[in-house]
Amino acid sequence: MDSANIAAQLNAGIILPEGIVIVTIMTIIITDLIGGRAVTKWLPYVAIAGLLLAVVDLWGQWAATDPIAFLGAFNGDDLSVVFRGIIALSAAVTVPMCIRYIERSGTALAEFLAILLTATLGGMFLSGADELVTVFVSLETLSISSYLLTGYMKRDPRSNEAALKYLLIGAASAAIFLYGMSLLYGLSGGETNLSLIASRIAEDNAEAPIGLIIALVFVIAGIAFKVAAVPFHQWTPDVYEGSPTPVVAFLSVGSKAAGFALAIRLLLTAFPMVSEQWRFVFTALAILSMVLGNVVALAQTSMKRLLAYSSIGQAGFLMIGFIIGTDAGYSSIVFYLFIYLFMNLGAFTCVILFSLRTGTDQISAYSGLYQKDPLLTLSLSLCLLSLGGIPPLAGFFGKIYIFWAGWQSGAYTLVLVGLITSVISIYYYIRVVKMMVVKEPQEMSDEVKAYSDNDWALVGMRPLQVSLILAVTVTALAGVGANPLLQLANSAVAQTPLLQRSVLIRNAEIAVQPGHESTPMANDAVADVAVSSVTID
Amino acid sequence: MNLAEGVQFVSLVILGGLMIFSALGVVLLSNIVYSAFLLALTFISVSGLYILLNAGFVAAAQVLVYVGAVNVLILFGIMLVNKVEVFSEVKNAWVGKAATGAVCAGLFGLIGTMVTSHPWAISTAPAAGDKAIEVIGQHFFSDFLLPFELASILLLVALVGAIVLARREFLPDLVAPQQEALTLPERPRELVAAGVRDED
Repeated sequence: MDSANIAAQLNAGIILPEGIVIVTIMTIIITDLIGGRAVTKWLPYVAIAGLLLAVVDLWGQWAATDPIAFLGAFNGDDLSVVFRGIIALSAAVTVPMCIRYIERSGTALAEFLAILLTATLGGMFLSGADELVTVFVSLETLSISSYLLTGYMKRDPRSNEAALKYLLIGAASAAIFLYGMSLLYGLSGGETNLSLIASRIAEDNAEAPIGLIIALVFVIAGIAFKVAAVPFHQWTPDVYEGSPTPVVAFLSVGSKAAGFALAIRLLLTAFPMVSEQWRFVFTALAILSMVLGNVVALAQTSMKRLLAYSSIGQAGFLMIGFIIGTDAGYSSIVFYLFIYLFMNLGAFTCVILFSLRTGTDQISAYSGLYQKDPLLTLSLSLCLLSLGGIPPLAGFFGKIYIFWAGWQSGAYTLVLVGLITSVISIYYYIRVVKMMVVKEPQEMSDEVKAYSDNDWALVGMRPLQVSLILAVTVTALAGVGANPLLQLANSAVAQTPLLQRSVLIRNAEIAVQPGHESTPMANDAVADVAVSSVTID
Repeated sequence: MNLAEGVQFVSLVILGGLMIFSALGVVLLSNIVYSAFLLALTFISVSGLYILLNAGFVAAAQVLVYVGAVNVLILFGIMLVNKVEVFSEVKNAWVGKAATGAVCAGLFGLIGTMVTSHPWAISTAPAAGDKAIEVIGQHFFSDFLLPFELASILLLVALVGAIVLARREFLPDLVAPQQEALTLPERPRELVAAGVRDED
């Protein structure tokens, strides 16, 4: 049997984007080994080219006729294509930010890029993993690379502390997640494929066994750690404060998107019997995240900690779309993640730029920045206002879509909490903007007084500028020209069989008895789905 | 119960008791070196349990990976940072211990109830027995091909990351003025007098 035949049997073309990323990683490591310092400055462009090529290839995978690859281990449906695209794009925007930062910190660039790309690769595989072993290995690829990136500035004690905390808490949550997965394996009588697990458990038990609920709780603990939902968020502020800022930018977007992709696929496929329970748990997590993330952010004095708490709050908003479980809910997650990618990365680019020039990320140091650097002030203001959800910036449209979807399906409490907390969030975002813009010249901070911005010719500053302009432009204009993005999100949801099955069940529930236990009709639908998934396999 | 079953039962009881007591020792003993060695004992009893379950390959892997690699690494870690520090007694420390104990007992009760109450479905596949390695290999190259290959990337990046974290970096600003022969350029250290070592 020749290799082309084997590749066709495995349907290996589905993971071509990941293959491109792997080739890029290898190219970076080997070129750096052979070429040494002479080639280092080209490596970031190799990384960006590889990531963009992967995104282009993902575009070609859109609406694949046969998305199941590797004998059921990987599912390349449109949901996974969208999430893999978001993760690859977030890495592609992160790479230009890190060139100058790494240069200044005096560490090696090639290894940093290789580890960052491996984290991206883990996230991409996680978005499509359809089987327990693949889920765990790709999750660990993402996590271990993230720990390494967090501790990359090994001469900085804060970076060491952040890495150690992240490693310990991450290892504990991975162990809990793995225990939950082993329960699933046992309950289904030795299946690892997610849809087979669900159908086997539904065959053997008339109602959800207690083991399934325990497995659900353990799995949710692992997922909530990845998306940094309260009360699994304690690592976030410390890790965000201590790690290198480009890493934080990637963690807050790429890693979070991968967590949501895992949550959607794992909970919808493997836990249809306890969907009421996980919706309830996630409602609690979402309300806690929105309230705690946004309220604690008020008291922060460091910009990175502020963005850490704000990212916890944003995860709460995203969970609304997931909990309501309708077509509009899922596409609002995809839409908001796209917008969140650019506005959050834009904000982090500004923080990097400011800390490169002044060496601090205290909020008080930003006062009077408008007098010295209007471009940075404008960019940071746009990104922060967009994160707060001020019209006509992109973040406003993302939030209103989520809240509209929630209101339509009757999740009034969640939407009200979301609205109130986003008003709170506007307060602390505007506080930073006010600090930068309206201070009189005599109230300027010492850092800003000593500020010089004529350094664009230095190594790595141009890519930073490009990344900044790109993120800010998208943040400012994506809301107005949102139609293609919305269509992309809607068709991704409409073309994913997994989501369509669960949306049918969910719509039946909402229509019959909003906000109550699952109805007989919904149970019939569950049985239908179980039967249909068996026949498909 | 024939002789073989009796032997199996007795071994199960011995291994289980060994596992529980050594695991308790890991948690409760205050000397970290004892804890590390008791951890090795726990791992070995787990591998004995695997042998009772007819899973020889998993048992060997357990000994190789956990005792041979993880536990030795832990002992090395203890050896390298073995700094004796006297910690002051925390007031009301028993509250934390009692809370931890209560949580653990609750979890144990919950999981124990679940294990005993659920009618576990047994896999229909025939037991692999001594052919386990072949079966595992076949799975690696069929339905678990993707995670198997992905694990190689994971190992590669772990290796690269370990080297990045462990390698010495040349720090031009720290080159010590009193640099002497046989000292490393990036980490000046005190030279040990030649005679001292001989007396040990």
